[in-house]
Amino acid sequence: MSPTRRRSWPWERGRPAPAVSGGDAAVRMFHVSKSYSAGSFALHDVSLEVRRGEFVFLTGPSGAGKTTLLKLLFAAERPSEGQIVVLGRNIARLGHAAIPPLRRRVGVVFQDFKLLPRRTVEENVALALDVEATPRRRARAKVFSILKQLGLQHRRHHHPLSLSGGEQQRVAIARALVNEPDILLADEPTGNLDPDLTLEIMDLVAGAATRGTTVLVATHELDLVSRYGKRVLRLDSGRVVDDVPQAGLRR
Amino acid sequence: MRRFGARLHYFVRTALRGLTASPVTSTVAVATIGVCLVLVGAFLLLLRNMEDLLGDFAGDLRVTAYLEAGLPQAARSALALQVQGLVGVESVRLVSEEEAMQRLRAGVGRGAAFLEGLDENPLPASLEISLAEADRSAAGMRGLTQALSAFPGVDDVSSGQDWVEGYLRAIALVRGLGIGLGLILALATLLIVANTIRLAVLARRDELEILALVGAGRSFVSMPYLLEGLVEGACGGALALVLLYGLFRLALPGFEFGLELLLGAAAPRFFTGVEAFWLVAGGASLGLMGSAAALAGGLRE
Repeated sequence: MSPTRRRSWPWERGRPAPAVSGGDAAVRMFHVSKSYSAGSFALHDVSLEVRRGEFVFLTGPSGAGKTTLLKLLFAAERPSEGQIVVLGRNIARLGHAAIPPLRRRVGVVFQDFKLLPRRTVEENVALALDVEATPRRRARAKVFSILKQLGLQHRRHHHPLSLSGGEQQRVAIARALVNEPDILLADEPTGNLDPDLTLEIMDLVAGAATRGTTVLVATHELDLVSRYGKRVLRLDSGRVVDDVPQAGLRR
Repeated sequence: MRRFGARLHYFVRTALRGLTASPVTSTVAVATIGVCLVLVGAFLLLLRNMEDLLGDFAGDLRVTAYLEAGLPQAARSALALQVQGLVGVESVRLVSEEEAMQRLRAGVGRGAAFLEGLDENPLPASLEISLAEADRSAAGMRGLTQALSAFPGVDDVSSGQDWVEGYLRAIALVRGLGIGLGLILALATLLIVANTIRLAVLARRDELEILALVGAGRSFVSMPYLLEGLVEGACGGALALVLLYGLFRLALPGFEFGLELLLGAAAPRFFTGVEAFWLVAGGASLGLMGSAAALAGGLRE
């Protein structure tokens, strides 16, 4: 593909162009900073691009800004400075009413699963489809299909607290993937799991990327990162200090 | 259409789950709304019956013009014709002294023996005037009474004007009390529902966070809570209706004397189907408004 000069965005005028390639980006960040108190930055002047279908690890020590970066991508936080474009929508300028439609295209998985304890596995997974008003029969079929893919179909009438940690995380992944999102964000998805389950969960997340979903996984487990050989963005003190491309690809 | 069905199914299921998740809170809310609406409903019922009585009585409203003694028959007839032409008069009937005495005899029954001792008939002849429907009011009667007093040959005029005015004042008092009490109790009902829903929102904060995460908009999150408020209010209204009916049937006969004072001989009646529906709908509306008030401050993106 021949390199083409990308047209600058309105907010980039007068600023140095970020080192991003043009084309089919799922996520673009331009000089993004986030501070919760004056002078203290959780993220500082971060510019990056993630292409559609790409699998990216975000690594770094605790407090490096991994979670903040993910929160910015599903509009749980707004940037203090800079611009973020997710699936063509500028998060910094998004009105309240535009956030839910964006979130329906972004699946999120957390370390603590965030499942509803009083609802069954099936109901937890169906939540993402209820929000989209998917007709019941179609929703039931989709939920069954994803639970089957994740080996949980026999647990669909159970409540989350009766499941193991690995099973609960699989339910959370099923909920995040059931409506076939464009982006999957996972914040330390294996933080609470033992090594065997960690690989099982990561294989599921990686599987989503092979089906065309853009995946960003925040983790501090470097073994895991090296095992998958995917692009790695290393953060430290709120800055991107390293961007290692997928093994075998030129940086 | 199928999407609407799916959404409705989710809202109803979630609202019912919310109502049954904390049965004690829901039951207390319904019971309190019910008691508030019983008080409002009792006032409405009393008001309704009093207005009905006034309506019934209005049909019988008459003004009586007593004629001077010794007025010749021709003058009486001419006077009757003149009165018939007055504005607000529907019909005029001339009652002679003899007919007045006959009525008195019939009215006193066995006591009529005392009337035998009278040397002469003391009762005057009179004109009994029925009012046109539009003028069957205290003001209509007042106007006619003044007009009749000016006629030569008319000795005195009597009407139910004082009674009607007094009764209208009583109705206004009951209505004022009802509106005042109704407003206070409506506010109380709103606060009860708002508090119940606010507690439910707080208890389900985790759920709201997850809903927001999967892309639920504000209306999607709010709708089950609004439904909960609506159902609680409607159940409160229905409970009030049942309690009122029970009181009407069982307790009312014990207050016969007080009732006679307010309603006379008229038999009190309960709400009609339409009125009962409005009581329940009123409860439902209060519930809906209460939960809307709770959500206005309780939900954030």
